Amino acid sequence: MPDEILKISNLSFAYNGTKVIDNINFSAERGSFISVLGPNGSGKSTLINLISNALKGYEGNISVFGRDIKKMNSRDIARLIAVVPQYSNPGFDFTVEELVLMGRFPYISRFGSETIQDFNFCAKIMKKTGVFSLAKKKFNELSGGEKQRVIIAQALAQDSPLLLLDEPTSHLDINFQIELMDLFYTLNRKEDKTIIGVFHDLNLAANYSSTAMLLKQGCIYSAGKVEKIITRDSIQEVFHSDVFVAKNPVTQKVYISPAFSIIKENDLPVPEGSGNIRVHVIGGGGAASPLLDMLTRMGYKVTCGVINNFDSDLDTASMLGITYVSEAPFSPISFYSQNKNMELIRASDAVILPPVAFGNGNFSNLVSVKEALELGKKVIIVNGSDITKRDYTGGKAAKIYEKLLDKGAIVVESIFRVPEKI
Amino acid sequence: MEKKQYLPKRKTYKYIIILLFVLIAAIVVSASLGSADLSIKETSIIIASHIPVIKNLTINQTIDPLSERIITQIRLPRIFLAVFAGIALACAGVIYQGIFRNPLADPYIIGVSAGASLGATVGLLFISGMRLLSFSAANILAFAGALGVTFFVYNISRIRNRISVVTLLLAGVAISALISSINSFILIFKTQDMAKVIFWLMGGLTSASWWHLYTIVPVVISVFIVSSFFMKDLNLISLSDQRASQLGVQTEKVKVILLVLASIIAASAVSVSGIIGFIGLITPHIMRLIVGPDHKVLLPASAVAGGIVLLFSDTLARTVLEPREIPVGIITSIIGVPFFIYLLLRSKRKVF
Repeated sequence: MPDEILKISNLSFAYNGTKVIDNINFSAERGSFISVLGPNGSGKSTLINLISNALKGYEGNISVFGRDIKKMNSRDIARLIAVVPQYSNPGFDFTVEELVLMGRFPYISRFGSETIQDFNFCAKIMKKTGVFSLAKKKFNELSGGEKQRVIIAQALAQDSPLLLLDEPTSHLDINFQIELMDLFYTLNRKEDKTIIGVFHDLNLAANYSSTAMLLKQGCIYSAGKVEKIITRDSIQEVFHSDVFVAKNPVTQKVYISPAFSIIKENDLPVPEGSGNIRVHVIGGGGAASPLLDMLTRMGYKVTCGVINNFDSDLDTASMLGITYVSEAPFSPISFYSQNKNMELIRASDAVILPPVAFGNGNFSNLVSVKEALELGKKVIIVNGSDITKRDYTGGKAAKIYEKLLDKGAIVVESIFRVPEKI
Repeated sequence: MEKKQYLPKRKTYKYIIILLFVLIAAIVVSASLGSADLSIKETSIIIASHIPVIKNLTINQTIDPLSERIITQIRLPRIFLAVFAGIALACAGVIYQGIFRNPLADPYIIGVSAGASLGATVGLLFISGMRLLSFSAANILAFAGALGVTFFVYNISRIRNRISVVTLLLAGVAISALISSINSFILIFKTQDMAKVIFWLMGGLTSASWWHLYTIVPVVISVFIVSSFFMKDLNLISLSDQRASQLGVQTEKVKVILLVLASIIAASAVSVSGIIGFIGLITPHIMRLIVGPDHKVLLPASAVAGGIVLLFSDTLARTVLEPREIPVGIITSIIGVPFFIYLLLRSKRKVF
């Protein structure tokens, strides 16, 4: 069998004169798990309906295993492609087993009925999907998660190599979502099912699929490896929303979160002329992150230093596109880095010192702040916690800190007070 | 865990066998009832003497020729017409309810009754003298009207070769209302004949003859057989059109085939019996409660049950106020309306 299971060429589809799918070219390899992502109205579900032959009247070509689906009859297509819909509500009170057996439809001739093989196959599927004990129950008596499992079993009863998912978990609670996605993942890995799924939840999609396709207004915006496709820029471009994209340290999968920040929460106004003011923030141990985000959003030109690689402040700075000075991981700050940091401080209008913990490694950052004060720069200290409690230098840091206060550094109690002092 | 309980469908066929026995018993009992008093035993012997194979058992029995004529020429044609009209209406009901995914759909919903009424009115008022075999012009025009209106409704609700169920229902209701108005308009000019038309519309099997059966029975049986091959498809269509297509059904084609079959069978029943309401609505619903929604079982079960219900209603219609006849449509409505209201109340609680 060829490795290419699905090939779509020059596919276009219009609905009431509006182009819903606009010249899509795409192919799927056997064994892949592809998520189709995009906002409402981008054509995701239409694409699934076109591939599964539930919508006709398209331009272009869809072929499965090299066979044009236009030239195949509906039974043959149903043996190659099964669909798990978002939601299904049979009008009549069918039992679970009746519904699962319906998945065998493409294998039963018009004049025949289910054979013992069909029954056995469905029993196997029901065990795999965990609905075997519900076989005699009425579908309408089941919970949402159980119902969706039955629908999955129905699709699996078609015994097709290609499985299309149309937002199969979007109306379910998180526990069912994970359960079902785990099931799809297993089917993909262990049973060689090729899966193409439309997902609302980008994180869920990123977690389970290897490849992603981003649709925008009926066109493919980008397609490829998930971590290349889901980026802050692409989400901004396609969904028009501001998100942070990061890598989960445990799963190593990308995940996104809304770029909801404390500035929105506290309704801080953007000060006039902030674009001309340069602010340098001393980083370390994540203490600078909220401040970096807030100042960036308020329009200030923000720089940061010196931060070690793998420090979360460094992740923040790179995510926000801030210029920063970095040092090798877990190493003391070198003179070279210190000098680069001083260059940024010299170029800035104000230096801000968030409640960073000091050890011998980053002690020189504190020295740089003192130099800044001596250069006549405005220094603002955010006094989050008592300096003696975050001084790991045996009192050296606390001593300099005292000097900073003596020499006229401004102290504020919370980061929200920082802008008014700048 | 082996699947010994895995052949549940077989079990439900027992209901069909039970129903068939009930039907046979009902035919015998109904044949014995009437103004000429005949015993069930005598009736059974007379009926048996006309059935091949079994008739050898009745050779030694004496049969009163008058009783035999009453049964074979008067009662049995009417009984069988009731049974087959009942089968036809119930089958049409099963199919329409499956396609519309709604247990409140009935065979008249997309214009069969309106078309038949118009046809019958024209037949009764303008060409009442014309006859073909034992069919009156009203019979023939009612059949033509029922099919004509159904296909008109079907065609106006077809958008780009697809049938939207909602459009079909709305078009059916609208066109039925239009046709009824035309019907009433015609009646204004023929007030003296209004009674004839109204009596026809109320439904009745009084004019039953073997000739009616010779045409209705083959139609009903062949439609029943052909449509039973599409019941697997109908199961899937009753989920949703989209789901049916995804599972391999040629949805649009099968829907057209089934709509045509259901319309033919409903029209043929209406053309000989007038508008008999509620049989096609209620029988499938009761049967669904008993045998479940699987159309492979539901269709035969409802067919037999429909025959029983209409035979029961017609027997009441001709015996309750003897010698006076009550139009059978009135009886079925008196039984049917309370049940219909029960369905509505139930569907308020549970969304179908």
